Amino acid sequence: MLTTTLRGMVAHKLRLALTTASIALGVAFLAGTLVMTDTMGAAFERLFDKVSSGTDAVVRTEASFTESEGVGTSRAPIDAKVLDQVKNVDGVRVAEGSVSGYALLTDNDGKAIIPAGGLPTLGNTMPEDESLRGDVEILSGKAPDADHEVVIDATSAEENDIEVGSTIKVLFRGPTEEFTVVGTAGFGGEKDLGGSTSAYFDIDTAQRVLGTPGVFDTIDVGAAEGVSQAELADNLSEVVPGGTEAVTGETVADENSEAVKDDLQMVSVLLTIFAGIALFVGGFIIWNTFSMIVTQRSREIALMRAIGATRRQIKRSLLLEAILIGAGASAVGVGLGIGVGKGLQSLMDAVGFNLPTTSLQVGPRTIIVSMLVGTLVTVAAAMVPARRATRVRPVEALRESASSIEKASRKRAVAGFGLLTLGTAGLLAGLFGGAGMAPFGLGLVLALVGVIVSLPLAVRPLAALIAAPMKLRGMPGELAKQNATRNPRRTAATAAALMIGLTLVVSMSVFASSLKDSFGEVIGDKTNADLYVTGASNQGPGFSPTVVDAVEDVEGVEAITPNGWGMARFAGLDASYSAVDPSTAGDLMRLELSEGSLDDLGEESVVVSKSAADTHQWELGDTVDVEFATSGAHELEVVGIYDTKGWVMDDYVIDIDAQTALAGPQLFTTALVKLVSGADQDEVQDAIAAALADHPDAKVMNQDEFEADASGFIDSLLTFVTVMLLLAVVIALLGIVNTLALSVFERTRELGLLRAVGMTRGQVRAMVRWESVVIALIGAVTGAGLGIGIGVGLAHMLEDEGITGIAIPGPQIALYVALAAVAGVLAAMGPARSAAKVDVLKAVVTD
Amino acid sequence: MSVTTITPPRAVTAAAGAVNLSKSYGSGDAVVTALDDVTVGLGEGEFTAIMGPSGSGKSTLLHLLAGLDQPTSGQVFLGDTDISTLDDKGLTLLRRDRIGFIFQSFNLLPTMTAAENIVLPLRIAGRTPDDHWVASIVETVGLTERLGHRPAQLSGGQQQRVAAARALASKPQIVFADEPTGALDSRSGAELLGFLRKAVDELGQTVVMVTHDATAASYADRVLFLADGHIVDSMRNPTADAVLDTMKTLGA
Repeated sequence: MLTTTLRGMVAHKLRLALTTASIALGVAFLAGTLVMTDTMGAAFERLFDKVSSGTDAVVRTEASFTESEGVGTSRAPIDAKVLDQVKNVDGVRVAEGSVSGYALLTDNDGKAIIPAGGLPTLGNTMPEDESLRGDVEILSGKAPDADHEVVIDATSAEENDIEVGSTIKVLFRGPTEEFTVVGTAGFGGEKDLGGSTSAYFDIDTAQRVLGTPGVFDTIDVGAAEGVSQAELADNLSEVVPGGTEAVTGETVADENSEAVKDDLQMVSVLLTIFAGIALFVGGFIIWNTFSMIVTQRSREIALMRAIGATRRQIKRSLLLEAILIGAGASAVGVGLGIGVGKGLQSLMDAVGFNLPTTSLQVGPRTIIVSMLVGTLVTVAAAMVPARRATRVRPVEALRESASSIEKASRKRAVAGFGLLTLGTAGLLAGLFGGAGMAPFGLGLVLALVGVIVSLPLAVRPLAALIAAPMKLRGMPGELAKQNATRNPRRTAATAAALMIGLTLVVSMSVFASSLKDSFGEVIGDKTNADLYVTGASNQGPGFSPTVVDAVEDVEGVEAITPNGWGMARFAGLDASYSAVDPSTAGDLMRLELSEGSLDDLGEESVVVSKSAADTHQWELGDTVDVEFATSGAHELEVVGIYDTKGWVMDDYVIDIDAQTALAGPQLFTTALVKLVSGADQDEVQDAIAAALADHPDAKVMNQDEFEADASGFIDSLLTFVTVMLLLAVVIALLGIVNTLALSVFERTRELGLLRAVGMTRGQVRAMVRWESVVIALIGAVTGAGLGIGIGVGLAHMLEDEGITGIAIPGPQIALYVALAAVAGVLAAMGPARSAAKVDVLKAVVTD
Repeated sequence: MSVTTITPPRAVTAAAGAVNLSKSYGSGDAVVTALDDVTVGLGEGEFTAIMGPSGSGKSTLLHLLAGLDQPTSGQVFLGDTDISTLDDKGLTLLRRDRIGFIFQSFNLLPTMTAAENIVLPLRIAGRTPDDHWVASIVETVGLTERLGHRPAQLSGGQQQRVAAARALASKPQIVFADEPTGALDSRSGAELLGFLRKAVDELGQTVVMVTHDATAASYADRVLFLADGHIVDSMRNPTADAVLDTMKTLGA
């Protein structure tokens, strides 16, 4: 049987190529996302390892809750006096205090050097001890050892022509200062830390500009010759004061890489979802292909059965074929996946998500997972048709029969409709019954499966609808419609792949446009601001509080109210909070309290949203247990409750002056500016911009500019998601090519007959093309319909999170559908050509 | 046995014909000559049967005459048109507008009803069928009751009659039938041949049929005998017995 299997595969090269291509594309996508995730992970890990590789132990304050800030975690500072104690511990060769924080470099013209994609602008201590520096090395010049000396990363220096010896401004949370660049730093052979910028200071300067004099973030310790990291940490633990701990350098590295993994999890989950979709779509195509192979082969199989092959042998032969194709195609897919990984990286760059980079990581996990998944999906997809093949009775198949028209089964109708009803019930319960996200999600999946199951039933009416205008194209149009509907299951399976892609693309764009719409509404209706001040980079951390003072003094400015933001653990749950200025936020941010007063907001108090108050049954005067990463546990008194979320979308609001005490020195994210009545908005904006010349970390915008700026991020996210999903659509189109190619092959005699009775080659090509368009449009139209439903549902679900308006981007969706039709035409090119080439005689001569 | 000399192709009485027509397949040593320098004329308004043993070239001749295949050398005429000079598009339009076909099997599109199959060539051409004419043909072939059925719901004989109706629906200059009764039982075959005969007698239709069945050939006005790529004999007003006798001498 093995030889028969192999010969069969080789004999149908086209079929083999198409099947391989569809599996390989699905697998390539999976492998690509794995490569991408690994690469990002490796790059991030390197970011920390390089810095901490020379450290054997770290002394730091204990923290039960650490806030992940994308880069490292923050905790309470440690008293500088501990350093002297540490230095005297057995096994300690060297110990130095370390401080890190926000430091924004500027170029020779005073313009901020902003790394792409919101990567951090790091400020650090340069250890005096060279081994404590780890992989950080001075590439030119010297280490900083005096006030107003800085070493910057080599990339920033090279790209901005900053020479060693020149003077640049560096922006901090506090006042901007001028520094002499005394050297450039490299990082184990690379010129920057994964794309971020770095500034190194001596410890005294670092304490002054990055932290607080008298305290360190951590104390980094180097072990004496022959002392292990564990011994060192043990020795240190005995001496360090209460509230502080000593851990090994390895532990810190592990924690960092865990934090990185957590940070990357979102990206990784997102990418895995895309890969899953791609494989699911690929699975459809594989299933379809094998169904067709089996149908075509039913005579061959019947012949084998007639001459004595058992069912088991037939089944084994088909499965063997599936395994061989699956494994082979998966291997091709893994190869392609490396390219996909590279492409994804460029794509992220292109839409503005710069992630730390390093050489592409192709781990064994990628290869094993991709190979396994690709092969298993192929085998699973081949199982059903293989089972069906063995049920073919020899006589049945040997009788000559043109592929007749298939009737959809009643079972399918019942199952599909049942699932659809159940799913819709779940969706509605989630939306209007307040049942929440779980039934909504389940309903979504059920409804999708229901649609996929019942799609064959809808093929005929949909085709009739879609093909109505095609009647004008005469016979080829009509035949195309008939051909598309003669095997509804096959058409449905082919269209379903496209449907899934379109459903996701359209639901994402409905969701995103609702988001943008609501955002515009928030800015327009939910603030009383005339102008907006934000960080220079809209993905950056924000700007220094000194900016507010600069803007306040500008003529024509009546009030400016800053906004801070952070994460803390409220009543045991991680949540975000807004920090505001109580005296101005009420008016400018339209933060209207239904109970209590903003005036009471101070050091140890909090204002909560109505929904949070309801959930926790808080009333005015109650206390909320809050834990901050930097300052530990606090009991904050509820002094106010606000009903509606508008500009402030978080559940908790604290005083911006208290934020420093609670969460450490922070940057502001935005500030709203109100003008004195009668002031010319453009003039004041220009004046503020002029005042900000010394503050390149911030920029001023009017409402339109701010909306565009903010939705720019949503747009680039949407672009990314859309491009990813369009890849799934490409796979789906390959499925159309596959189906058409096999249909054309099946219909050789019909095509010959049509040519014999006078159909021109052009008409034959048109017929195949229209069939392709009908299939593509069935997928696109159902997908668009579902996508709109899901997108509206999602937006509605998140009404509490501030998505108030629902906007359906009609032209955009119409464009997607039109593109699907065009893609259908493209997909039909090959099959149409081979259909037109059919030899008339071969078709009409009876053999 | 003498090779019959045939009237020149341009003669007014010829609906179609061939001059020095040859067709060979393959190349070099493996070349197989299916037709060797055949010159023949097919009378207008006549029912001509082409007979010969397997491999005699009778189907090749039909395919060349019908514009389904291109000759290696020589000329083929349909009326005044030298169809051997036509390209694929020209041949296609010729088949569509001026020729009717009945094949041995698989004559019909499975997705279309009998009625739709009958007007298929007209619809392909974008022409509006002459309802009156089509109805009269349908009635003649006795299919009025079955028009809404798809091929799978029709018997073999009915399918062939649908094919015959289709061949006539576009009022072609000539109808070519390639073993039209080959897959039918004798009763259905007789019905179909009776219908073709009627088309010639009552409508003046020109019909050319390839067959290996002497009884089928006896319905024709004239029988041409082929052997080894040559026309070796012809017979007017044939009877089944006479045809059989001739065939025996050809070694069939």
